[in-house]
Amino acid sequence: MGDYTVFHLMPWSGAYAIYFFTIGISAALFFFSTRSWFPTGQALVPIRTSAAYVSFALLAISGLLLIGDLSQPMRFLNIMNPAYLNFASPLAWGGLNLISFGIASVLYIKALKQNDEKNAKFFGVIGSLLALGLPVYTGFDLTVHQNRPVWNTPLMPVLFVAMSLVSGSAVAAMLAKGKEAALAKLRWHMLWEGGAVGVMLIALLGTTAYGGSGSELTFILMTSGSLGLIFVGLGILLGTAAPIAVLLTSFGRQHAGILAAAGLLLVGGMALRYSILIGGQIVQTYF
Amino acid sequence: MSELRISSIETRGVPGKKRYAMVIDLRRCIGCMACQVACKAEFDVPLGVFRTWVPYKVVGKYPTVRKMFMPRLCNHCDDPPCVRSCPVEATYKVEDGGFVLQRYERCIGCKACMASCPYNARFMLPRHRSYTNITSVVDKCTFCHHRVSQGMVPACVQTCVGRSRIFGDLNDPGSEVSYLVNTLPTQVLRPEEGTKPHVFYIGADRNHTEIGRTIYDPSDVMNAERVMFEKNQRS
Ligand code: SF4
Ligand code: SF4
Repeated sequence: MGDYTVFHLMPWSGAYAIYFFTIGISAALFFFSTRSWFPTGQALVPIRTSAAYVSFALLAISGLLLIGDLSQPMRFLNIMNPAYLNFASPLAWGGLNLISFGIASVLYIKALKQNDEKNAKFFGVIGSLLALGLPVYTGFDLTVHQNRPVWNTPLMPVLFVAMSLVSGSAVAAMLAKGKEAALAKLRWHMLWEGGAVGVMLIALLGTTAYGGSGSELTFILMTSGSLGLIFVGLGILLGTAAPIAVLLTSFGRQHAGILAAAGLLLVGGMALRYSILIGGQIVQTYF
Repeated sequence: MSELRISSIETRGVPGKKRYAMVIDLRRCIGCMACQVACKAEFDVPLGVFRTWVPYKVVGKYPTVRKMFMPRLCNHCDDPPCVRSCPVEATYKVEDGGFVLQRYERCIGCKACMASCPYNARFMLPRHRSYTNITSVVDKCTFCHHRVSQGMVPACVQTCVGRSRIFGDLNDPGSEVSYLVNTLPTQVLRPEEGTKPHVFYIGADRNHTEIGRTIYDPSDVMNAERVMFEKNQRS
């Protein structure tokens, strides 16, 4: 009673979670499009073009979201100024990664339109490596803040790569409409990558629950507190465990089952990104 | 004994360099908030945000109670995570003196520095201000760089009626801050973060300077204040 403190706002709002979501899907769709040029990815040929286009559209949306979230949007050009760049910051690497991925995407789409297999493969592989960098850097963006519970774990970049692949396969499954071989391949992706996300979430819950006072409080807030419904309800149960269960049943091998699981995985992917982003910031606002 | 320096950015104990620090003697703080007001006046700090602030807590149960004041500000860390995380070097450390400052014209407003500061020392300036055109960029305490470089002490130190805040060069063994830090037990906030803060507290009680369990069940009064602060900061 009678206490007084100054309240602080969370620096990164929920809008960043939308960015994490769209950029993750963009990266994974590019990877699936590229895979279709190689023998092991033949099943993905039907989504080769649509995945590339949707990936590029989402990249453009992500860029706008990122710029729109800056309080000085026009100064996004500063991040391309070599005289300013601070390479100790993952954001600087992220900016360069985004730009180079954008260039690789344009060159890949050009080769794709000309049906130039050699160049499509070349720019596809380069672009896929850059695409991998996108979830990796978003993970690092969070990991490097040593004072933040949930974020400050080496798991983050890997978790973001897995979440990118899960959400990307879910969107790819929606693009694959009725193409049996593609759907079967994407079902396999959703199942294993969804499983990997599930395992990592268990590890994340463990380290958060036993991570000191700030982490313990964050664990409480994320599981039974204000984020409980989003993190546990939508993210873990409805958005990760339920779709895996669906995919394991015979219904999950049918077209409708795969699409239902894909929808749930997308809901889960968004909920997990949101709650990880916000969860890492709650307790500090009271410090 | 020489200082243990882990990163090349650290300036404490570097020969020929100044390393400014503040000592806050909590036994002397009476919670008048004159420092908070002096800082607001010195920099036209907008409503709802603070470069320095004096939260307090009532500790104990009647009849053994005490009001614990805890003046806060940027710690001008020797190894500042905010400087590390800024993608465009809009926040930087002045090597001679150790001030952590802002380049307002360069800041893109990504708020990475706010996310990385363990002390909530940074805030976003509002879009509209009456007397200055520095808007929509991140701001923070400067250790009154403009005053200190003219041989004065920071505004909060100058105004502190209890002489609770003491400022000086820690690399000068004859300074008052050196004397206090070297001869009395002092505490810094969240030392485990590795930031090496340069605001030292005398009489701080770690039981009360850590993130507490009250967070899970904040009082209604606190929530009402939070809503007001959020409203102020958005307008
Ligand atoms: S207290 Fe925060 S803003 Fe100040 S130098 Fe340390 S990390 Fe940076
Ligand atoms: S908000 Fe400004 S000062 Fe802070 S990290 Fe971003 S560009 Fe740097």
